[in-house]
Order: sequence, then C-alpha cells, then structure tokens
Amino acid sequence: MTRNVAIVGGGTSDWGDRDASWKDLAQEGGKATFDAVPDIGPEDIEGLFVGAVQPERFANQTHVAPMVAELLGIDVTEMIARTELACASGQAALRYAWLAIAAGQLDTALVLGVEKMNLGREHMPEVQSSMANVLDREFDGVNGLAAPPFFAWYAQRHMHEYGTTREQLSKVAAKNKTNASRTDFAQFQSTVEEDEITESPEIAPPLHLYDCSGITDGATGVIVMSEEKAREVTDTPAWITGSGQSSMAGNSINNLPSFDGWPQAREASQNAYEQAGIEDPLSEIDVAEVHDCFSISEIIEYEELGFCERGEGGQFIEDGRSHLDGDVAVNPRGGLLGCGHPLGATGVSQALEITQQFQGTVSSDRQVEDATTGLIHNLSGSASVHSVMTLGRDPQ
Amino acid sequence: MTDQQDTTDSTDPGRSSDANGSVPRETVSIPSEIELPDLLDFYERQTPEHTQIAEFYENLDDGRLTTTRCTDCGEIHFPPRIVCPECMADDLEYVDLPHKGELFAFSESRGGTPLGYHDTSPFVVAVVDLGEIKLSARIDDARYDDLEIGDPVSLKIVDIEGGSASERVFYRFVPKGDTQ
Repeated sequence: MTRNVAIVGGGTSDWGDRDASWKDLAQEGGKATFDAVPDIGPEDIEGLFVGAVQPERFANQTHVAPMVAELLGIDVTEMIARTELACASGQAALRYAWLAIAAGQLDTALVLGVEKMNLGREHMPEVQSSMANVLDREFDGVNGLAAPPFFAWYAQRHMHEYGTTREQLSKVAAKNKTNASRTDFAQFQSTVEEDEITESPEIAPPLHLYDCSGITDGATGVIVMSEEKAREVTDTPAWITGSGQSSMAGNSINNLPSFDGWPQAREASQNAYEQAGIEDPLSEIDVAEVHDCFSISEIIEYEELGFCERGEGGQFIEDGRSHLDGDVAVNPRGGLLGCGHPLGATGVSQALEITQQFQGTVSSDRQVEDATTGLIHNLSGSASVHSVMTLGRDPQ
Repeated sequence: MTDQQDTTDSTDPGRSSDANGSVPRETVSIPSEIELPDLLDFYERQTPEHTQIAEFYENLDDGRLTTTRCTDCGEIHFPPRIVCPECMADDLEYVDLPHKGELFAFSESRGGTPLGYHDTSPFVVAVVDLGEIKLSARIDDARYDDLEIGDPVSLKIVDIEGGSASERVFYRFVPKGDTQ
C-alpha cells in the first residue's frame, strides 16, 4: 500500500416511503450513479460493495451483492461483498472499496447502499423488532429496547451530567430539517420550528418524534477509483484522506464504555485525522456529515469529533456553530433527521454529499462556501462502533 | 431483437394460447397464520441442549440473578459467558448478583415499539446499576414521569408464556417498595 483513492461521483434514488421493492431501489440507485458519472459504465466496474443491513428481514432476501451485479449488468472481476455493520453498513462498504483500491487490488468500484424498510404500517412492529436485533438480542433487545429509548438514555444522561437542555436538542432537529428542505431526494422536506418538535408525540421521553430519524427506503451509490483512473474521469473528485474505526470490546449494555459520550468516536476520528494530517478539526473541517440518528447523537458527536469540549455540545448548537454558515457545516444534506435513514445507504449518501459539496453541484442554498475538507461519521448498533472518514478536495 | 420479433406471430403454436384461449390457472395457498417461530422470538432458548449458559436461566428460575466469574482472573462478566474475554480461560463459575439496584438511566417506549411488545406499550426500559454490573431491564409497575435517576429498584422474575416448547423465565425490576 498505498495508493490515493477518490470518489468521482454518484447518484441516488428518491428516499422515503417508496412504492418500490428492494430490487427496484437497487436499480434506481445504480442507474442514478452511472447516469451521474457518464464516463463510467457497468463494464468498467471491477469491484462491487453493497451496504445492506437487513434484507433478510425487510425483503426476505440474502446474498444481495450478486443480485445487484445482475440487476446492473456488472461482471465482477476482482471483489464482491455485501457489508453489514448495522447503521454504518454503507460507510463500511465504502471503506472496503477504499482499502481494496489503495492496496492495488482493483481500480474501479461501485459502492451501493440499499435498504427497503417500509412494509406498510401494519408491519412496523416487525420492522422495529428487526432493528432491536442490532443490540444484544438475548439480554437487551429482549427488553423491548429499540433505538428510541436507548438513545433517550444518552439524552437523559447528557442532560444530567452536563446540563444539556431540551431546547438544544430541538435546535439540532430544526437545523437538520431546515437543511433537508433544500435536498430534493430527502424523505422529510418540510421545515420544522423548534416548538413543533416538543409538540410532536413523545416516542421515548425526552425524545419526541422529530428528534428521531425516519424509517426509510432508498438506495445511493458512488464510484470509487484509483488516482490514475479517477483523473481520467474528473478534475474534481473527493479524495479519501483518512479512515478510522473503533469498537471497545463492548456491545451489550454492561460493556459500553459510557452513557454520555462515545470514546469510540473520539478514537476513530483521531485515527482518521492523523492519516489526513488534520490537527485542529474545528478550523480545518468545513463540512461534516454525522450520524444524527437522534438529535442527541449530533450533540455528542460535536464533542467526540473534536469540534468542542466534552459537555459543550449543547452550547455548540445553541451558538449556531454547526449551521451552514457556522464554524463547521454539520449535516448540510439534512442528516438522518431530514433525509431519513435507509440504513445501508446512509453512509454512501453522506460521502456523496461531501463529494458534491466539493464539486459545487449541490443545491446552491445548501452549498458550503469553499469547502475543501470534509468528514463523514456513522455509529452503529448500540453505538458500539464508530466509523469516521475524512475527505479532501486535494489528495494527501 | 428484430429477428425475435419476426417470429412472434399469433400463428406460432409455441406462443399462442391453448385451444380455449386461456392458460391453465389454479389457486395455491400459503398459511394465513403460523406459530411464532423460535427465531422470531426475542427470548432465547434456555435449556442445556440449546445454550451453554443454561445455568443462568436455571438459577433465575430458582429466584437467583447470577452471572459468571472467571476462576482464573476473577473478572465478573455480564451477560454470562463460557469464555472469559479478559484472559480466555474457560473455567467460569456462577456467582450471585445483587437483587437490588438503582436506576442509572431510563426512558419509556411509547412508539416504535418492537413486535411482541407493541401491545404492552408504553413501558419503562432502563439501565439498572447493580454495583458490579449494569444491565438493561424493563421496569414494571412504573411510569416515566414518576421516576428519577438513582431511584431504588428490585428484582422481579417473569415466567414466559407461549413461544418455545420449554418453560422460560426472564428478569425485570420494579420500584423498590412495591415488592414487599
């Protein structure tokens, strides 16, 4: 190793409660990706990496990577895999593609994240039970512990330890939903005022409906290439400058390192920053797509990603420092709260947003000025794993 | 395509309908109800033929909340194990955990509740601090608005009705004072 690796572009299906099957979504996302990168077609793809969390449960289908290869007419010559890392599956797929290309195994990969989650309202408890299985099912999922009460604990503990306020949670949700109103594929495109957030139903107190990301169908892809090949396609790719992950021998409740922070995110980001040569993330990172599965998550992530000190995440949003025109634009796409969260597609969509921010091709009203350094972050499961990838307009 | 289309002709016996103008058709059925399969049931299969931590469930059935301790390095684990993650020893013993603890964090599941539990929503689900370990548990006989961090809670055992063929048990907690 290692070679420079770039994301040259990509595309997405519409996200939401879609009248579409898993296979329909995969085709829409694949077509949108190839349409967006006209110099690259299925015949150029040597490696295929599919991020998908629960097609077994949501679509009654496994071994989905070769299904995508067939649907998109891809003869895979080097590497094919489906990645499952719960809510970070799309980012994991991207990371595998990066490593395979950096190692010289292949030059051109398609990374496609796909999830079909809306099966009709009558099936929502079944979908939620599948989601609870990302925890230790025998000892934690068994208690009816789905994601909302789990992240509600973190909100409660963060409020308890640091004085974070309900209003600060609302400010995160309002910001991201406002940003999503400028994102044409987003599931939720209506702006929401702060007071509407606490007027929405309490899903798991202190979290209300608008503090929670959606149940979303969607597929998003990116084309990832070696430097030599990428330069034949575009002058403005997004270079992958660093990638870190951390998990601290803890997945079940007793073994998590903290209930008011995520030291795994700190470690993963520091590893990525070191690779990317980032010393002061707040001043150097212009745009960050972070895992706001719930409003509290983004507040903790400000802290662990090094944008502010531990315990100051609430003040960080209150001061508007994560707004589009703030010190670091966090979730300009609208995040999971605004775009929705088709589990396997989320990380891919975040990376595409950063790429398009660099290329100046996002809607002008969410364009971050002169963005040259970006970051994507995803947690997964009981937040037991954190994945951080840095992207740059210039290679390292 | 052109060649293929040329052969697609209503007079082609291989492509036209049968003499009555219809293709054969019949109804096939799928079951409208099935018994809850074990693998869609949140509660683990608890007997020795299914799990090597059956002793945990047997102790619970006897009214004791226990977990494993490594006889080599002394580490207490939860959930119970068959291999110590600290030292890889596999000589573990069951030790008693306290039956009383404190609420470390809690919420109430009011929406987005999983299958099998959605009919019982709302319910309180909490992190209970037992001192040596923390665990997640449902808190029965309580509402979110009446609870505070640090509130004392005590063990309750539930017998699981339905599902797997074997009799099964699990643990919950209740606000202390409700038990005696």
